[in-house]
Amino acid sequence: MVSCACPEFGGVRDAERNRWVSKMRGAILRCLLSVLSLLVCAVGMELRAEERVRFGREVLPILSARCFACHGPDEAQRQAGLRLDLEQDAKSPHAGGIPILAGDVAGSTLWQRINSSDPELVMPPPEAHGELKPEQRDVLRRWIEEGAVWGRHWSFEPLERPQVETDSAKAIDQLIQEALRQRGLSLRPQAGPYELVRRVYLDTIGLPPTPERADAFARQPDEAAWEQLIDELLARPEFGEHWARMWMDLARYADTKGYEKDLGRTMWPWRDWLIRAINADMPLEQMTREMLAGDLLPGATEDQKLATAFHRNTMSNDEGGTDDEEFRGIAVKDRVDTTLQVWMGLTVGCAKCHTHKYDPLTHADYYGLYAIFNQTQDADRYDDSPLLEVLNPELSEQRERCRQRIRDVQVRLARAEQADAAREDALWSVPEVTDSVSQQGATLTRQSDGTVLVSGTSPAEDVYTLNLRVTGRVTALRLQALVPESGGDVGVGRNPRDPNFVLSELELEVVEGERVRRLTIGSARADYAQDNWPVAAAFDGQLKTGWAVSPKQREPHSAVFVLSEPVDVSEAGVLRIVMRQHYGDSLTFRHFRWSITGRDASETQPLEPSAETRELRESLAEARRELEAVNARIPRTPVMVAVGEGQRRETRIHRRGNFLDPGDVVPAALPSAFSGGWIEKLSGREPDRLDLANWLMSPDNTLTGRVWANRIWARIHGQGIVETEEDFGALGALPANAPLLDWLACEYRDNGWSLKRFLKTIFLSDAYRQGSELTPELLSADAGNVLTSRGARYRLSGETIRDQMLAVSGLLSEKRGGPSVMPPQPDGLWRSTYNGQKWTNAEGEDRYRRAVYTYLKRTTPYPSLTTFDGGSGEVCQIRRIRTNTPLQALVTLNDPVSLEAAGALARRMTESPGQAVERGLRLALIRPARDEEVERLQALQQTIQQSLTEGPAARQIVRTARVEVPSGMSEAEFAGWIVVAGTILNLDEMLTRH
Amino acid sequence: MDPLLENRLLETRRHLLRTAGLGIGSMAMQALLLKDAAAAPANETRNPLSARPPLSAGRAKRVIYLHMAGSPSQLELFEHKPALQKLHLQDCPASFLEGKRFAFIRGVPKILAGQFAFQQHGESGQWISELLPHFASVADRACVIRTMQTDQFNHAPSQLFLQTGTPRLGNPSLGSWVTWGLGSVNENLPGFVVLLSGGKTPDAGKSLWGSGFLPSVYQGVNCRTSGDPVLYLSNPEGMDRGLRRRMLDTLAEMNAEEFERHGDPETQTRIAQYELAYRMQMSVPEVLDISKEPKHILEMYGAQPGYVSPAESADDPRVLYKGDDPTFANNCLLARRLVESGVRFVQLYDWGWDHHGSSLGESLDETLPIKCQASDRAIAALIRDLEQRGLLDETLIVWGGEFGRTPMMQNNVRSELKKGYVGRDHHPYAFTMWMAGGGIQGGLSWGQTDEFGYYPVENPTTVRDLQATILHVLGLDPYRFSYLYQGLQNRLIGPTDEGRVLQDILI
Repeated sequence: MVSCACPEFGGVRDAERNRWVSKMRGAILRCLLSVLSLLVCAVGMELRAEERVRFGREVLPILSARCFACHGPDEAQRQAGLRLDLEQDAKSPHAGGIPILAGDVAGSTLWQRINSSDPELVMPPPEAHGELKPEQRDVLRRWIEEGAVWGRHWSFEPLERPQVETDSAKAIDQLIQEALRQRGLSLRPQAGPYELVRRVYLDTIGLPPTPERADAFARQPDEAAWEQLIDELLARPEFGEHWARMWMDLARYADTKGYEKDLGRTMWPWRDWLIRAINADMPLEQMTREMLAGDLLPGATEDQKLATAFHRNTMSNDEGGTDDEEFRGIAVKDRVDTTLQVWMGLTVGCAKCHTHKYDPLTHADYYGLYAIFNQTQDADRYDDSPLLEVLNPELSEQRERCRQRIRDVQVRLARAEQADAAREDALWSVPEVTDSVSQQGATLTRQSDGTVLVSGTSPAEDVYTLNLRVTGRVTALRLQALVPESGGDVGVGRNPRDPNFVLSELELEVVEGERVRRLTIGSARADYAQDNWPVAAAFDGQLKTGWAVSPKQREPHSAVFVLSEPVDVSEAGVLRIVMRQHYGDSLTFRHFRWSITGRDASETQPLEPSAETRELRESLAEARRELEAVNARIPRTPVMVAVGEGQRRETRIHRRGNFLDPGDVVPAALPSAFSGGWIEKLSGREPDRLDLANWLMSPDNTLTGRVWANRIWARIHGQGIVETEEDFGALGALPANAPLLDWLACEYRDNGWSLKRFLKTIFLSDAYRQGSELTPELLSADAGNVLTSRGARYRLSGETIRDQMLAVSGLLSEKRGGPSVMPPQPDGLWRSTYNGQKWTNAEGEDRYRRAVYTYLKRTTPYPSLTTFDGGSGEVCQIRRIRTNTPLQALVTLNDPVSLEAAGALARRMTESPGQAVERGLRLALIRPARDEEVERLQALQQTIQQSLTEGPAARQIVRTARVEVPSGMSEAEFAGWIVVAGTILNLDEMLTRH
Repeated sequence: MDPLLENRLLETRRHLLRTAGLGIGSMAMQALLLKDAAAAPANETRNPLSARPPLSAGRAKRVIYLHMAGSPSQLELFEHKPALQKLHLQDCPASFLEGKRFAFIRGVPKILAGQFAFQQHGESGQWISELLPHFASVADRACVIRTMQTDQFNHAPSQLFLQTGTPRLGNPSLGSWVTWGLGSVNENLPGFVVLLSGGKTPDAGKSLWGSGFLPSVYQGVNCRTSGDPVLYLSNPEGMDRGLRRRMLDTLAEMNAEEFERHGDPETQTRIAQYELAYRMQMSVPEVLDISKEPKHILEMYGAQPGYVSPAESADDPRVLYKGDDPTFANNCLLARRLVESGVRFVQLYDWGWDHHGSSLGESLDETLPIKCQASDRAIAALIRDLEQRGLLDETLIVWGGEFGRTPMMQNNVRSELKKGYVGRDHHPYAFTMWMAGGGIQGGLSWGQTDEFGYYPVENPTTVRDLQATILHVLGLDPYRFSYLYQGLQNRLIGPTDEGRVLQDILI
C-alpha cells in the first residue's frame, strides 16, 4: 500500500513523479518528503518489517506490478522468453545468468538488472516507467538473501482455519485484538445501548427500531437480550429486502433491457425469489447452484428455473440494425465476468482480448468459461425469450377456471355442431369408396364411416384417385377435410410442421365400363380459403394454383363442388375422383370424406347454424378473450435454458476480443490454474453451468469463501478486510488482517454457508459492538478502520436513507414484492429514443414502498438513489464508492420523499403536545434527546412560525408536504414543525450508521 | 489513479489535513494531495472537484463539446463530391458493398448525389455547404477533420466508443476523465455540465456522461433547461432563502455538536457540502440565466431566454423541429457562460441528426436544413463570442456526430427518391468532425477522402486519435493518463497505443 500513498495519475509511475517532484525545490520538497513518510507510517503500517519476508504478501506484489507485464503469463507480450511468474524458470539459467539465485543477491541477474545504471540494461526499462522504490528493492534483496522461498499469491493459497482457542464470536475479537496490539491499540469500549440497537437494526433489516423496542433493550442490555434481539431481527421479512440489494448490485438487476431503447422487462419475479431465498436463509452454496444452473438440476422446480434469471439480467440491444449475435456474445462475456467477479473476486476483463498479465488466467481460459455459458437459448431477441411464466396461486386458479370454461363450452359446442352437421348430412349421402390409390405410394385406408385416412410414406406431392360406387342422379359433391377430435397439433394436411393442404386440381369422371365421361364443375364454395388460394382454383386447369386453408389448417374444412349439369350414373358406373396435390412440401390431405347429393343446388345451400351453436361460439370466443387477458397478466421472466444436444454452439476465441475475428475452437473448461482436481472429476466431459457452480463452491476453490466473507464484512463494517472487494488478484489490496479473513471464510463455509448464522457470529463479537467515536490517535493509526479499531461509522446507502425517512415518519408501506413501483421523480427525465414508456408518479401506498421496489431504468436510474452512489444495473457492481456531495444535500432537503416524510414526521411529533421535539428526535435518532438539541429545535420552530404568520408561505409548505394541519393548530405553527422535522431528517447522525 | 487511493483521498483529503498534530506538514500534505505544490492556500471546502493543474502545460483549459446525436451527413455539409453527381441514382459499385455490414441498407443501393451546393470559404478555402453560412464565415478558426473513422455502426455503441472509449457501458466519459484530471475552477458549480436539446436523450443515454469506474462526483450534471436546472435545486414552495438559511444554521450547529462527540471528519465535510448546496442554489440559476445577457449577444446566438420548445416534450420531436427554435442556441450561450464561470467541461447533445429518410422528420432534404438553421448561427456565435472575450485560445470546441452517412441512399423502405424522404444510412468509414480554439490550428483541412467520400485516401483519423489529441491539448498525456480498475490501467484511449496525437493540427 506504500506504493499508492502518493496521489498521482495512475499511469505516471515513480520516474515521472520524481521528475515532477524535482522541479519543486527547497522547503516544499522537504515537507513533502517528510509528510510522505508520515503517510507511509499511517497508511502502510501492515508493511512494517517482519522477521522474514513473505512471498505472497510482499514479493509477489512487486514482481506482479513491475515484472509480469513482460515476464509473466501472457505469451504475446513476453520478452526475451523469460518468465518470472514460475519458480522453476526464475531460478534456472537464462541468457548467461540465473535471474534469482537463492541466498546470493549479488549473483542474481534480477538484482543486477534492477540496480543497473545503464539505461540499456536497467529493469524495468525506463520507457515502462516502473522504477523500483528503495523499499521494494529492499524487500527483494532480503527475500533472496533469506533463500528466495517461493509461494503463491495469498488468495490462491489453500484456506485454513487459523487456530484460535475460543468459541465463535470471541475468535473474531481475539484476531482483531492481536492485530490492534501490534499497533499499540485495543478494542474500544462498547457503544451505548441505543446506538447498538439502531446499528444492528440498520445492518440487519435496513430500517431503524421503534423507540419502544430500543427502550426495551436499553432497560436490560445484557448478553441474552442482545442475542434475542439479533434472532428477532434475522427472522423479520425485511431482512431479505435489505440484503437483496447487495445481490441486486452484483446481479446488475434492472427493470429494463438497457442500450438505446431501454424497454421494460419483467425481472421483479427474480427479485422476489431472491428476497424469499434470503429470508429462508438458503445456503450460499444452494443459491449459487440455483442461480447459475437451476434449470440443469434434476427435476428442477419452477423456483429453481426462476433463479437462473440472475444471468438474464444482462442487457439486450433492440436498436435497429444491430447484430443480435454480437450482443448475445457481449451478454455471454458479461456472464463470465460477473461470475468470476462475484464468486472469486477475479477481474477477467483483460483476458477477453489477451492472456491476463498479472493473474494466471489465459486467453483460452476465458473462452473455456465462455464456452460454458455459450450454451443457452437466449440470443438478444426482442422478446427476450426464453421466458418463464411466473404463476401465483390466484393467477393459476384464474387461468385454470378459464381453461375449464373453454373445455366445457367446446364440448357443448361440439354437440351443437354435430346436430347442425347431422341436419346438413341429411342432404348428403356417403357412397362406398371401392378403390383408392396414391400415385406416390402412400397408404390410403378406407374407413367404415366412408372416410379415407392417409398414412405411410409422405411424399412432397401426390395424386389420390378414388372410385365411388354411385347410382342415379348427382348434382354436387362435398369434400370434408378432417382433423382428429382429440385436437392436438395435427391438422388437415400431412406435414406436421405445416398441416395445410393444397388441392391443386380436382378431376371428376363417370366411368361406365369402357365409357368415360368427364364432368365439369360449374361452381364451388368452401367454408374457408386461404388468401390467394380460393376453392375455384381447384378446377381452373392450372396446377400452380389451388385451394388451401392456412392459417386455419388445424380446423376441419369442407367444400361443395356443384356440377355444371346434373349427371345420371348407371348401376354399372362409378364416380372417379382425381385429387391432384402438387404444391410440394407434403401439403397433402391426411383424412377426408367425399359425399354426394342429387338434390337441386338451391336445396344444398349451407344451412344456418342453430341459435345454440351461434351462442356457444360467442361464449367460446369470450372465454378465449378472458384467457388471453389472464395470460397477459402472468409475469414472464427471462431465464436460462440450455440449448438442445444438436444445437450446441461451437466456441472460438475472439481474437483481441472481436467477435468478427474468430480464432481456434475452445472446449468448455474451468480455468486451468484454479481447476484443482476437477479435471479428473469431470473425466473427459466438458463442464456445464452446474459443474461450474459446484466448482465455485467446492473446498478446492480458495477464493470463494474469502471473497464472500470479505463482502459480508464490508457490508457491515463499511470496509472490507481486503479493501479491493472486486480484486483478490495480484493487483488487488492485501488483507489488512489475513488471519481474521481466513477465519471468517472458514466460519461461513463450515456453518453451511448460512448468512444468518454468519451475521449472528459477527454481531455477537465485541468488535462489532465497539463505540464509533474517532480520536486523532485512531485516525492516524487506522484512518480507514481496516483494522476494526472502532465501531464503523459511515453514511447510509441511498436506499436506507429513503427507507429510514419513510419509517420514522410512519409513511413506509409494508407491501412486499410484486412489480416495481414509481415513486415521485421530476418530470421529463425519461427521454429515451423510440420508447413510448412513461414514468407515472405513484399515488397511495406505492409512493412509499421500500427503495428495493423502485423501478430501475438503466439509462435513467432513479436520481435520488444514484446521487447516493447507487448504480444503474448496467454492469456488476461489487461495491459502491461512497461520496459526500452537495447534490446529496439537495436530495434530502428538497426531493418529494424528503418533504413528505418531514410532513408526516411533523404530524407524529405534534401528537405529543409540549414534547414535539423530544418525540421527533426519538423517532428519528432513537436515543433520548439532549436538552441543548431540544432548545435549538424549539427555537427554530419559533423563528419559522413567527416569520410565516403573514402570506401564503405556511400553507405552501404544508401543501408540498402533503399533510393536514392538526386541528387547533395554525398553519404557521405547523409549518414550523415541518421545518424542524426536515432538519432532524437531515442531521448527520440521521444519515449515518454508527 | 489507484481506486484505493482515490477512495481514501475522497475521505482523507479532508480528514488527514484537519487532524491536529501534523503541523506544518499538513500544509504541504494538502499541496501534495491537491497536486498543486505551488498554490495550496488552505481550501475550506476541500472539494474533490478542486482545481488541479495538468501534468504538462496544455493549451486548452476547458472544453465545449457539441455532439450532434444521430450523426449529420458529411456529404451535405463538408464533403464536396462531384463524382456522386455523375453517378447519381446508379447502382453502387460492388466493391463498396463486399464484406460490409450496414444498419439498414439491403441489397444493392443507389448512389445519392450531395443534396446541396458547396463553396470554398475563408482564406483557407474550406469547402462548406450552403447549409452552414455562419460557420462558413468562421471557417478560418476551425480545423475540419474530413477522415474520421470509427469501428461501430450503431448509434449507442458508437456514441459510447467516442465518448467513453469503449462501445460498451461502464467506462467514464471524456468529460468525467477531464474533470477527474483537472478538477473544476469554480467550486460553486459542477465541474462537468451536460445540456440537452432536440427532444430526446442521445441513444446511449445517461451513460454518455457517467463516471464509470471513476468516483461518481465526476459524472456530468445534466443542467435542464426547464424545471430545476439541477435536480432538487429549488427549495419547496413557501421555503424562501431566509427560512432555508435559518434551517441550515440550526442544522450546521447540531452537526458541529455531533462532530464534537464523534470526531468524524466526514461530518465536517457534510456541513461544508450543505453550505455548498446552499450557494449552488444561487450560483447555478444565476449562471444559467441568459436573460442577463445583452440584446446584441442574444441576437448574435439567436437565443431567446425562457423559451421552452414544444419539441422538447413531444413523443416524436422530429416532426416539430423548426429552424428558428432557439433551444440549441440557448445551450450554446449557456456553454459560454458556464466555461466563463469556471466549469471545466460542457457537453451539448443535440438529438435529431439521424437522417435515414425512412420516416417523416428524418430526411436530408427537409430535416437537415432545419437542424442546420437551428444550430449554425449559434455555433458561429459561440466561436466569435469566446474569441472576443479572449477565451477561445484556451477553450477547445469539438463538433461532430458519432459516425458519418453513406454515399448511397438508404433503400430499405423505398428505393425511389421522394421529397421529404431522402436519406443515407450509417457510415463508419469516413466522416467529418471539426475542432476549434484550445491549441488547434484554424483554417486547416485535415485528411482527404476518395471521390465518393467513402474511404480516407490521406491521413485517416480514428476515434482513438481524436481522444488522444483532446487529452493532449489539455495537458493530460493520453498514454499515461489512467486509472487502475479491475487489474488494468484503464485509459480513455483503450489498452493499445494505436491512438496518436494529431501533432500536425496543433498550433
